[in-house]
Amino acid sequence: MWCRRVAAAVVLASALAAAPTVARAADPAPLRAVGFAAKNGRLTVSVGLQDLFGEAERERLKSGFATRVLLRAALEEASTGEPVAVAVQRAEIVYDIWDEKFGVRTSDGLGVERRAVAPTADEAIWRAAVLFELPLVDMARLRPGTEYVLAVRGDLNPISEDLLIEVRRWLVQPARGQRRLGAGDSFFGSFVSIFVNPRIEDSERQVRFVSQPFVLGVVVPSPPPPTLPPPRPQPGRLR
Amino acid sequence: MDEGPSAADAAAFPDPRFGPRYVIEAVRIAGNRKTETSLIVGELAVMGLTPGASVDASDARVEAARYRLLSLGYFLDVHLSVARGSKRGAVVLVVNVEERGTLVINELFPATSEATLFWGGADVSEMNFLGRGINLGAGFVISTKPLVPDAHAGLGLRLHVGVPPLGGPNGVGLSVTGLYNDGSEFYRTSGADSDPDPGRFIATRVRRIGGVLTAGKMFPHNLHVTASVREEAVSATLPAQYLPGGTQPQIDFMVQNGESRVGTIAAGLDYDTRSDPVLPRSGMRVALSVEAGTSLLGSSYSYVKTVFDGSFYVKMPHGHALGFHLFGGSIEGNAPYFDRFFIGDLDLLLPRRALGINFSTQPAPNFLGTSIASQRYDNYAGRLLIEYAIPIWRHHGWVYGGDAFVAFGVLGMASDEDMLKSPPIDLTGDFGIRLDTYVGVFTISIANVLSRSSF
Repeated sequence: MWCRRVAAAVVLASALAAAPTVARAADPAPLRAVGFAAKNGRLTVSVGLQDLFGEAERERLKSGFATRVLLRAALEEASTGEPVAVAVQRAEIVYDIWDEKFGVRTSDGLGVERRAVAPTADEAIWRAAVLFELPLVDMARLRPGTEYVLAVRGDLNPISEDLLIEVRRWLVQPARGQRRLGAGDSFFGSFVSIFVNPRIEDSERQVRFVSQPFVLGVVVPSPPPPTLPPPRPQPGRLR
Repeated sequence: MDEGPSAADAAAFPDPRFGPRYVIEAVRIAGNRKTETSLIVGELAVMGLTPGASVDASDARVEAARYRLLSLGYFLDVHLSVARGSKRGAVVLVVNVEERGTLVINELFPATSEATLFWGGADVSEMNFLGRGINLGAGFVISTKPLVPDAHAGLGLRLHVGVPPLGGPNGVGLSVTGLYNDGSEFYRTSGADSDPDPGRFIATRVRRIGGVLTAGKMFPHNLHVTASVREEAVSATLPAQYLPGGTQPQIDFMVQNGESRVGTIAAGLDYDTRSDPVLPRSGMRVALSVEAGTSLLGSSYSYVKTVFDGSFYVKMPHGHALGFHLFGGSIEGNAPYFDRFFIGDLDLLLPRRALGINFSTQPAPNFLGTSIASQRYDNYAGRLLIEYAIPIWRHHGWVYGGDAFVAFGVLGMASDEDMLKSPPIDLTGDFGIRLDTYVGVFTISIANVLSRSSF
């Protein structure tokens, strides 16, 4: 009797579990052209991630509070995926509601901080979300004939691990301070608990891509570094 | 590059301050057609964002306040901004919220067993009743008439009202749960302990009506403390032939014949440091509760029930997690059967009680050949489960995360009067997947299937 029950349950549970498994294959990161160059004996990379900002995010730049951008780039051996070098750029944009200008500060994560004032949102985004001739690794560390790719990830308003933990806890206890007494008095073992689970991930928006592969010593056409956007008129405002 | 931006912490700016510093002149809430403004303002106050307060443009409290509001469950999105105030540096803090539906289905399932052809129910909550953050919930369970002689169809009802903490989010929250149960419990009259044949059981009919008043408060360091009072009127109809003076051997029904009352006071501690309540990787959750039934509250049953329930998680390589789940409980005194430990609540492979009503005659599987099959309602219970979880999803569209898990453990139950010829212990376990999705939390496992089709 028990063997039949268990066997039937295994079959059913396996069937249920198998369905989503089919769909779980991770989407491959899209390809994006990245500019590689040698500068002062180091490999530099240039690429724009301005698409981290949609229309809504661009509007919210003027909230008066900081918008944070985290860009990370990892140079990997194309064949093995082994990382060779990692670079980080972090940026903050704050709109001054009185001066009506954007303040931008960026850091490479090594303590070097740069500050700038941007008159437009486009320029502020450019300063925060573009890797411009970012030094990545000493050329001497790269092996001739080996194919490399650059994996890049950008995060808008990344959440610290501590806050993320706190948020996840808040989410499952929506009515704070209230919990139901339960032992023996509730439907134990949730088969389904249906609620709209706000999409709180580790950042508000993400962009991921990989570069075209490149081989040291083999000249391949790279796109030019992203340039500062031309100023565009601010609608509804006197200039 | 799949790791989350928690690495951002390592790349933080040495000086966290950037941009102007504001003094909040006023707080303006927009977009809340249903939710009371005072409720939102109260949450902001917890983060120190009140009129007169100073806040930097890059203040971490702003982001935390946004997520705190989101986590209430009342909003799809929340954004904070500032507008110019009466002078330079003075601002109006503007909070734009986008409300969402707040009706939550906590549980929904059908089930069947050899003793009861069908039982099922639902547990539904409105989390933001009247826009005041009131949690209004209702649950029910109904069944067909069980096949056990003298049994009655089961009906269980619950009504739950919880009000937001008094005096703000750090105050004391109050909740009231009303209950009505009308159902049968089954007692073996013949046959082997392993025989679930409903014809070998006799049924009682027990009606319960009452409620629980609970006060709870969150303390720092993830500690939640509760105190509660419970009162119930119990009406039991027991088969006379099995009572003293009857024609059949006596049965201890663990409830008084006729009218009786249950009156208890209880206190509980809940300490939770899990990294994630749905798919934890580290931390612990420990809950300890003590409930005492006393004649001072008019109770016909005097007892003290102590329950410890702890889960401990250890990080393993490759994002895996090892969990240890320890449950232990004891009852000293004369508790009614519905307050005792029930085998179905402990053994993952058996049907659990629904709203406190049991619908099954299925004994424990008895994999170890002990006397566990005879244990149903007992005064002492313990269980140790070891669980290994492997992440299989992270951030794929609507499925935020998913774990495959396998759990294996041992449980035991006993009462004072048991003749412990062999330790009443058994093995239990489960495996399946646990999903955290946009529309809720789903567990699909072998134990779920078994406990909902118990034959």
